[in-house]
Amino acid sequence: MAIAPEPAGRPDTAPAAQAPLLVVEDIVKRFATPDGELIAVDHVSFDVKPGEFVGVIGPSGCGKSTLFNIIGGLLDDYEGTVRVAGERVRGPHPAIGMIFQEESTFPWRSVIDNVAFPLEIAGMGRRERHERARHFVKLVGLDGFERRYPAQLSGGMRQRVSMARTLASEPKILLMDEPFASLDEQTRLLLGDKVLQIQQQLAQTTLLITHNITEAVQLADRILVMTYRPGRIKRVVDIALPRPRSSQIVSSEAFGRHVAQIWSDLREEASLGLQDEDSAYGRERRA
Amino acid sequence: MKGGAAPAISAAEVRRLRIVIVLVVLAAWELVARSGLLYRDVVPALPTIARALYALLAGGEFYWHLGVTAGEVAAGMTIGGIGGLAVGLLLGANRFLSEAFERFLYYLGPTPKIIFFPIMIMWFGVGVSSKIAMGALSCFFPVALSTAAGMRQIDRVLIRVGHSFRANAWQMATKVYLPAMRHPVINGVRLGLGVAIIGTLLAETKLSNRGVGFLVIQAYSLFDMPRMYAMLIVLFVVAIGVNALVGRLGGLDAIKRP
Repeated sequence: MAIAPEPAGRPDTAPAAQAPLLVVEDIVKRFATPDGELIAVDHVSFDVKPGEFVGVIGPSGCGKSTLFNIIGGLLDDYEGTVRVAGERVRGPHPAIGMIFQEESTFPWRSVIDNVAFPLEIAGMGRRERHERARHFVKLVGLDGFERRYPAQLSGGMRQRVSMARTLASEPKILLMDEPFASLDEQTRLLLGDKVLQIQQQLAQTTLLITHNITEAVQLADRILVMTYRPGRIKRVVDIALPRPRSSQIVSSEAFGRHVAQIWSDLREEASLGLQDEDSAYGRERRA
Repeated sequence: MKGGAAPAISAAEVRRLRIVIVLVVLAAWELVARSGLLYRDVVPALPTIARALYALLAGGEFYWHLGVTAGEVAAGMTIGGIGGLAVGLLLGANRFLSEAFERFLYYLGPTPKIIFFPIMIMWFGVGVSSKIAMGALSCFFPVALSTAAGMRQIDRVLIRVGHSFRANAWQMATKVYLPAMRHPVINGVRLGLGVAIIGTLLAETKLSNRGVGFLVIQAYSLFDMPRMYAMLIVLFVVAIGVNALVGRLGGLDAIKRP
């Protein structure tokens, strides 16, 4: 088990036995706000190797969602570069599949048509795309629900539809932004199992962005801990838990050690965020 | 998915009550007509109206006028609806334009459009064109406003999903934007249709020689009250039918489809 402290900002990623699939280099993102310039992401660099599951964890407001949008190509106007499979990312890249934090199924499409959406966009015929989509519906365990509409499903099921939809585009790297944020803890753990199972089955390279320590430790091989504003990488933690994993691992002693370690890193950052929030609230009240 | 919360109300009972309400109104009407309290020709007895209704529907003249009005409304809806949709999309997509222009739409929207009728007559003449213009003018505002609002209400994440799968502009419009805003747009079309019918009929009653509005005002000036009431009943039924049709076309129940 190696929990190596890293100098803030420039973590030295593991020696490249394999060429990394995703390379994030020196990303800086500034926002203009009424209170002046806000640096949301500050010189963030890391890479993700094929088959690896990397978690990015940080307190609310650390710029992790900004990072998600930059890597997904939904945000331009930043400094630094993102490369996937050697290609520079400019706008949404076919090798990257995004799963969003919010409720993102199309309410007017049935489950099967939701999942087939990326294939439809790619111009695949109806019969073929339904066949392909059916495979991914099954993969997330929703077979039998193909004809249902999102309004007829639970929150956890809808999030699985989103997952199947993104997987159907067969991305080289799966990019997830707090995909379980709106779900209760038990559903979250069970869905985590589903993600682990799928990730192992497909050897899916994955980048998970989250503020949930349990979730990050349960799923990831490596966790990047981010600082609160400006968002930098504070530490890189290797999670030396055996694979294949399941949610049962949360009760193991090693799991607890990892969680404690990451929390001690995060605590400071989260309390900074809390202070900021308090003072912002105070300002509002005075105004 | 509406309802569901109050299972105590039975649909059959509601229907029964509705029928009772209609019967009570009809009975009250008949009572007033027979009481002689009001001038007999102003409140004619129901059988008189029924005979007038039969005469109206049996003759061919009325259908021709109904056709004229329907054509005017359809043309007005097409022009005003497409215009409203286009302007609504523009305002919904562009914050700057919406800040600048939408205020005017909000002011003009509730203004009774009939005050523009003299202008329409000057521009388009006393014939069918000025009636179409009135219909178009009437339905433009609700369609434009609800399209703009509908576009802004689209869940942003759905747009991001579309982009993340690299949908092009046409795919974004047809597979994300339009289906996502179908409810407000259909609602706007529904409101627009209502006011287009009002605008057209109103214009016909003012200065014209054809259309149902003209027939109604003609019956009125000839003091043929039973005929006038008969036409109002037909208009009422037509309006209900059209509204039901638009609601169904909208696929408002697509989500509930099993």
